[in-house]
Amino acid sequence: MASNPPRNFVRFAPSKADKSRLVDIRITLMTGGDALWWDARLGPWHARIASRADRLWSWSVLLPMCHLVQLAKRRFCRPLVIWARADNGQFVRAGMSILIEQYPYLDVSAPNESHFVWFISAADSGVLGSRYGVSDPPALGRVLLDNAIVLSQNAGLSGRMGLHAAAAGGAGLLTVYVKCGLLQLPATAPLPTSIRRKNDGRFFYADQPVAEALAALLDPAR
Amino acid sequence: MSEFMLLDAKAPATMEAVVEAVMRLSALSEAQILELVSAGKLSEVFPFRPKSGQEIPPDFVSEDDLVEASALPLNREQRSALVQSSMPSHTKSGQRRGLLGAARTFTRKKIKRSSED
Repeated sequence: MASNPPRNFVRFAPSKADKSRLVDIRITLMTGGDALWWDARLGPWHARIASRADRLWSWSVLLPMCHLVQLAKRRFCRPLVIWARADNGQFVRAGMSILIEQYPYLDVSAPNESHFVWFISAADSGVLGSRYGVSDPPALGRVLLDNAIVLSQNAGLSGRMGLHAAAAGGAGLLTVYVKCGLLQLPATAPLPTSIRRKNDGRFFYADQPVAEALAALLDPAR
Repeated sequence: MSEFMLLDAKAPATMEAVVEAVMRLSALSEAQILELVSAGKLSEVFPFRPKSGQEIPPDFVSEDDLVEASALPLNREQRSALVQSSMPSHTKSGQRRGLLGAARTFTRKKIKRSSED
């Protein structure tokens, strides 16, 4: 059942420097122009940060490719951009994500559908500050996951969502998702048969109670 | 021709080549595609890039000019518009429809074949 009333996306996120303070963000649908901007303006900086799992991603290739691949699988992508307010009062792109709607739920003991977080990136806060005048950058990890949970709830999928942590993110990325409150699928757990992949222990998910708890945490920011 | 360029040849990719690449990718799981992309190996299976020449949008946008996304499910028309806005520009709409249509036809045939097997 869809959440009633439907939840909106958040419009504030905790400040990266002081989590008790909220800063303005906005969320829009991603277009080819957004992907082009990200690749041209942030891509070269991110490519220099060896620890980033997304350092080699080209969003202007990813965006159409993801749509086409999912259309071929009879599914649909919902690509989103998160904008942060800069010191000049205007907004600048600070986060990117490509979610897949109606994806097989990772917990096979409760076969169902969920939303899947395929690609997510947050802009390097140092670059946002030094080049784009965002002196108080937002912490976007939970927001990027909340978007998937809210879309899943509003689509009647009870907030169920899943993701795979890129191996390039190492153990650090696993820690991030654990700290965000997601459940880690045991490496011994089978995956849904339509996911043609061996479980490498890097899959995370939210069931209905976890999704509701995570969404409720951010309700004051909607 | 498709709206994509070949990475090496600096020439437009044929629609057939793009559809074949999409079908190859669609045989992989999303996690496998994520790993390929993160390893910088996507070009081995999808050797295309959007045509260049599109203007990079401005760095900043005022709040009034931002169109916030709805968190509600999209209808068919909204989905179609979103996919179209994600495809490389400098393409006639008929060509875009052609690529998407070819992918759908390929999938339908694949499904039909597997149901007959």
